[in-house]
Amino acid sequence: MKPFFLILRPLWRVIAAVLTVGGYSVLLILLKDYFTTSIVALLYLVPVVVSAAFWGGLAGITASILSFLIFNYYFLHPVYTFAVSQPQDILAMFVLLGVAMLISNLMARAQQRLQLVQAREREMRQLYELSAALTGQTDARRVMHILAQRLETIFPGTVAEIQVDTAGMRFAIREPDEPVQHPAANPVRVPLYASRGQIGQIVLYGHANVISLDQERLLQTCASQGAVALERAILAENETRARVLEESDKLKTAILSSVSHELRTPLATIQASATSLFNPDVEFDPEARGELQALLIEEVEHLTQLVGNLLNMSRIEAGALKLQCQWNSLAEIVDTAMRRLRRSAARQRIEVDVADDLPLVYVDQVLMEQVFVNLIGNSLKFAPPETPIRVSALLEGASMQVTVSNQGPPIPAEHIGHIFEKFYLIPGMDSMRGTGLGLSICQGIVEAHGGKIWAENLEKGVAFRFSLPNVSQDNLAGLLPEEEE
Amino acid sequence: MSAHPQILVIDDELQILRALRTILGQQQYTVHVAHTGEEGLALAAAIQPDVIILDLGLPDINGIEVCSRLRTWSEVPVIILSAHENDQEKVAALDAGADDYLTKPFSADELMARIRVALRHRARTSGAKAAVIQAGNVVIDLAAHLVTRAGAPVKLTATEFKLLAYLASNAGRVLTHQSILTHVWGYAEDSQMEYLRVYIRQLRQKLEENPRNPQLILTESGIGYRLMT
Repeated sequence: MKPFFLILRPLWRVIAAVLTVGGYSVLLILLKDYFTTSIVALLYLVPVVVSAAFWGGLAGITASILSFLIFNYYFLHPVYTFAVSQPQDILAMFVLLGVAMLISNLMARAQQRLQLVQAREREMRQLYELSAALTGQTDARRVMHILAQRLETIFPGTVAEIQVDTAGMRFAIREPDEPVQHPAANPVRVPLYASRGQIGQIVLYGHANVISLDQERLLQTCASQGAVALERAILAENETRARVLEESDKLKTAILSSVSHELRTPLATIQASATSLFNPDVEFDPEARGELQALLIEEVEHLTQLVGNLLNMSRIEAGALKLQCQWNSLAEIVDTAMRRLRRSAARQRIEVDVADDLPLVYVDQVLMEQVFVNLIGNSLKFAPPETPIRVSALLEGASMQVTVSNQGPPIPAEHIGHIFEKFYLIPGMDSMRGTGLGLSICQGIVEAHGGKIWAENLEKGVAFRFSLPNVSQDNLAGLLPEEEE
Repeated sequence: MSAHPQILVIDDELQILRALRTILGQQQYTVHVAHTGEEGLALAAAIQPDVIILDLGLPDINGIEVCSRLRTWSEVPVIILSAHENDQEKVAALDAGADDYLTKPFSADELMARIRVALRHRARTSGAKAAVIQAGNVVIDLAAHLVTRAGAPVKLTATEFKLLAYLASNAGRVLTHQSILTHVWGYAEDSQMEYLRVYIRQLRQKLEENPRNPQLILTESGIGYRLMT
């Protein structure tokens, strides 16, 4: 189809020139009596200029020759022949032809230059758009997508594929993302060269096998722009990866320093108690023996909890926290957490104000229980003995608002925004055992549920509050179908 | 053949095996040990143990697969041991036919309690089914559809009774959400969980001394429920 059109387009122009000259000639022939032949010769420059200006050089020359012939045939004596009797007419005729050809030529050249300028301008605009689109892109895949999309716009009807093959990555992106219809048809391949050698290539499918020099130049320019952007993105990605590694390295160091102390204390107790119990030379009275055994169990539990916290933290850090959400009763979760805390809560009163007919919440039961264990455990640690700890939950709008409050010392203002950070311990309170992990685990879990968690100083004591957004429509009474007892 | 109950422990960790052998041996159980899943399955067929303790993290085959392969020919109670982080694996193993689970680290008391429940359950399933189950001061008469608390009859709806009956006939064992939903409602869908939560609360209100500190129907977070006897 395409070559056919390519032939037709100049043909149409020539036909347009012929029609213009023909029509113009009819008009002149009708008005013949009013003009001298020299004026007519001059007037014939009009259709020539028009044709050359509108339809280019070929049309201009056609118009010139046609005008020359018609002028001769209809206007020069003897009329209706191509013979010419007057020598001055011969001169007029050839001047017309000469001037007409010259004008056509000049017009055509001007036209060509204009087209060239327009083409350059379009190219510049396309390149500008490409570089604007690529600016600031730090994701290599995104860069490849943009490059492919732009190429597809610049070279319509083609499928552009960008292939990248470097040490860090190897993949291809195609735009439009559809199978190439004639993969065997010779695609145009342009390598992507960056500062450190070739990083991939552009493959243009479905283009007419031969591309013009201009198009090739444009493609090369796109390729070099794309290569620079791509290299920048790849370097940025590598840098990010390096930074993440460095961060996680820092985290590991922090874990080690914070945890090694926490691990050693129970281990020391366990070692001391166990070796004492094992010592055949010492006769323990039953009370002392019981005390040592109790210590063993307590410290093992402490270690277990610590390891659990570390595991949870590392899972949150790695983004590997997979929520197993189900519809859950918050009261049931709090009650189960209370059961786990029973032993450590012996010295304090915990007031639970979580109605068991509240609407259900869509949460991970195990993780949410951990949030309560950590928050209540935290209060148990910091609140003075014999003061109550309060756990309450209320439906506010579409979300559940949970509060765990105690009458412990207020959190200094400069620390209250940081206490949910990993390993954050408030200076001056480090007489307490802690790793600074409990609250950041709570934060990780609550945020994974789409909620928010924060701390507030109360008039007397501290409140930890969090919200849970996924609350069922009905409260429990509304859920229960009517049934005979 | 010894008169003591036979326990097969399938675990690849030597220290755990050493501890279990000592602890269980002290309790008059005969202990057999396998280090891999295949060895465990072969030994289970050879000695026909009364209880199997199965670690989920075996070197050769997945513990879940051991359960399901075992279940094709044996009803022996299986107690699984698992590390804390794989709740999903525990549930999968329970749904594949395991009877109960313990999370490492566990205490000897917990292990003994689970073994006793498993042995009792085995005795019950192999013999006549107990029609009357006592849990605390609650007596559940499955045949007569009668539930009393401290001697006084408790009125239950049909679904409540069905749920309680299922828990009671598996007294002491953990039942997964999935298996409860399938047994009581006939199908297990996530949306059904809401009803399960509601009915558990109803049962606790009717049967527990203090519904907020349940002693009979215990919540096993992320797993299911257990009726204590």
